[in-house]
Amino acid sequence: MNLAAVTINHHTAPVELREALHLSAEEIAGFVQDAKGKLFNEGLIISTCNRTEIYGIPVDNKVDYNQIQKFLVNKKCVSNVKPENFRNYTSNAAVKHLFSVIAGIDSLLIGDNQIYHQVKDSFQLADELMFTGYLTKRLFDAAIKTGKRAISETEISEGAVTVSYAAVQLIEKIFSSLNKKSALVIGVGETGEIAAKNLKERGIGRLSLTNRTIERAEKVAEKLGARILPFNTFKNYMHEYDIILSATSSTELILTKEDIKNSMKRRSYSPVILMDIAIPRDIEPTAKEIDYVFYHDIDSLNIIVEQNLNKRRDEISKVEKIIDEETAAFFNWFNSLEVAPAIKSLREHFELIRAEEVGKNINRFSNEDREKLEIITKRIINKILHQPTVELKRISEQGQNSNDAAVKISILKDLFGINNIDEEEKH
Amino acid sequence: MNAAIDFINILLPVLYLTTFGIYFYDFMYGGKNFSNSKRLFLFITLLVHASYLILRTILFDHPPITNVFEIFTVLAFSVGFSYFILELLTDIRGTGPFIIIFSIFFQIISTLFIQDLVEVREVLRSNLLGGHVFSALLGYSGITISAVYGILYLILYQDIKLNRFGLIFNRLPSLEILERLSFVSAVIGFFMLSLAIIIGVIWLPKAFPNFSYTDPKLIGTSLVWLLYGIGILSKTFGKWRGKRVVTLSVVGFVIAILSTALTNFLSQSFHSFY
Repeated sequence: MNLAAVTINHHTAPVELREALHLSAEEIAGFVQDAKGKLFNEGLIISTCNRTEIYGIPVDNKVDYNQIQKFLVNKKCVSNVKPENFRNYTSNAAVKHLFSVIAGIDSLLIGDNQIYHQVKDSFQLADELMFTGYLTKRLFDAAIKTGKRAISETEISEGAVTVSYAAVQLIEKIFSSLNKKSALVIGVGETGEIAAKNLKERGIGRLSLTNRTIERAEKVAEKLGARILPFNTFKNYMHEYDIILSATSSTELILTKEDIKNSMKRRSYSPVILMDIAIPRDIEPTAKEIDYVFYHDIDSLNIIVEQNLNKRRDEISKVEKIIDEETAAFFNWFNSLEVAPAIKSLREHFELIRAEEVGKNINRFSNEDREKLEIITKRIINKILHQPTVELKRISEQGQNSNDAAVKISILKDLFGINNIDEEEKH
Repeated sequence: MNAAIDFINILLPVLYLTTFGIYFYDFMYGGKNFSNSKRLFLFITLLVHASYLILRTILFDHPPITNVFEIFTVLAFSVGFSYFILELLTDIRGTGPFIIIFSIFFQIISTLFIQDLVEVREVLRSNLLGGHVFSALLGYSGITISAVYGILYLILYQDIKLNRFGLIFNRLPSLEILERLSFVSAVIGFFMLSLAIIIGVIWLPKAFPNFSYTDPKLIGTSLVWLLYGIGILSKTFGKWRGKRVVTLSVVGFVIAILSTALTNFLSQSFHSFY
């Protein structure tokens, strides 16, 4: 199979370069319009913040990786790209690479299943642009199956691997349901806003925000449907909140142990979670000594992240096994595409010779023997073709090495002149 | 029939150990291998155990509640069955090994020492006694499960406080759920113990005219009952929560175990029937 793949990703290029070569949906449409017919007959383009990958069936053998790379670089008018920023794959390696991408083991964040949806969307876009063909559609089905199996049969996507999700995982180990709980986010810069958004998405019952600059708090509160507490008086209402998340850029402590103690008294020591994701920290760490206060900072959340990443790394071998199985299944199908017509042509060729010779000599046999002649000659042909047929089927079922199948079919056709016959028939 | 009972008597610890092994494997390694089938193993074990209890009742012409080793096998069943119902109702599956281990403990002791009693004292054939013992056993099952969830709560509480995010953190449900499970089990246990005490108070003077209120079993049970009563009331009126309530539950369980041990093995009590 002559599937070619050219990729630039987080393994091969820095973020500036990846950004420079990123293709938006509109740019992909333009790329496809120019590349279809010139470079590829059919194909697929995946472009995310971590990778831009071009897969395609080249129009002929003259198309090489340099041409594909140049095509992309020229399209994006980027000058400082080196050949080593690209990785190239062909045939089996290209299919395997695509399956590794969709299964999440090639991601920056191992097991990130966002890539599964991104690849799915890329296939959809290629389909809308009529860039897909018989082969890429089948490749899409196989890739989706691989991605689904990786998610459902392994734990490659289990556990939180970002600090904000680790915070949510921790909160869910203390409170059973967030919809009856209230949260206060102190500081709504970029980190605070993401944290507030995460809490909202997980169904927090009541969300309040406080920020030194009230305008910024108002903007975020409007987006998330949250309440605003004035920054200079929020401590008076702290006891009303089950989760307090602090992410300010203050260089001094925002909440002291004494503040927390007072708040705990007012809330009759009902458990409270303090998430300090600010650097430097906003909450006095000794607050964790108070009963029913669950204080956690970036370091403790990073422990969860690292543990989950290690667990995901342990799952890679299981995912690789799935990828091997699905690659073999895909090539079984692909090889059968080439092998079945070859067997048919070979049999037709021999049958033609047999029928011709029998026809020429049929008059030499008595009426009773003619039927026997048919049977005997057919049996001879079957015996001669048995071994080649078995061998070709074996190659097709063996899977991954499509070149072997192609070479053997080609030799067979050359030796018996089957190509010439096919072409003569066409003419 | 006797041979069948003897066979099941030996089979039961094996079944409980197998079920425990499956629950333990699932707790340790997670995955999808046994996440559903472990419940089926527990169900089969309980079904065999129920058949065993029925067979004993039919063959020996009395329910298996006339001595401590008969009671232990009922207690093993009762703990396992209570957990099974709890798992079905809440779909919380990660706590099984911590509870099934109690069934193993009670069943092994019972298997080793139980005897085929045909002749029992007339006083032990009373229906009121049956009600008294079964409600007491369900009560003890309730407080056993409550104590297990209480201990798990305390371990998870410490782990979260100290940033230990290991197996316990990953596999157990949230602190709030553990506290709720411990509390609900304690309430059920308390209710059943209350029922056992009421039946006991009605039946006791008829069965034992010379009984004494200073009997160690009566004192122990009253203490346990009082502890749980205080805990439940405090929790209900919002005075106590979390660690304090579950600690009380664990203490209550320890007192209940000590009281049973003292009554049956060390001191003389009218509760010792064999």
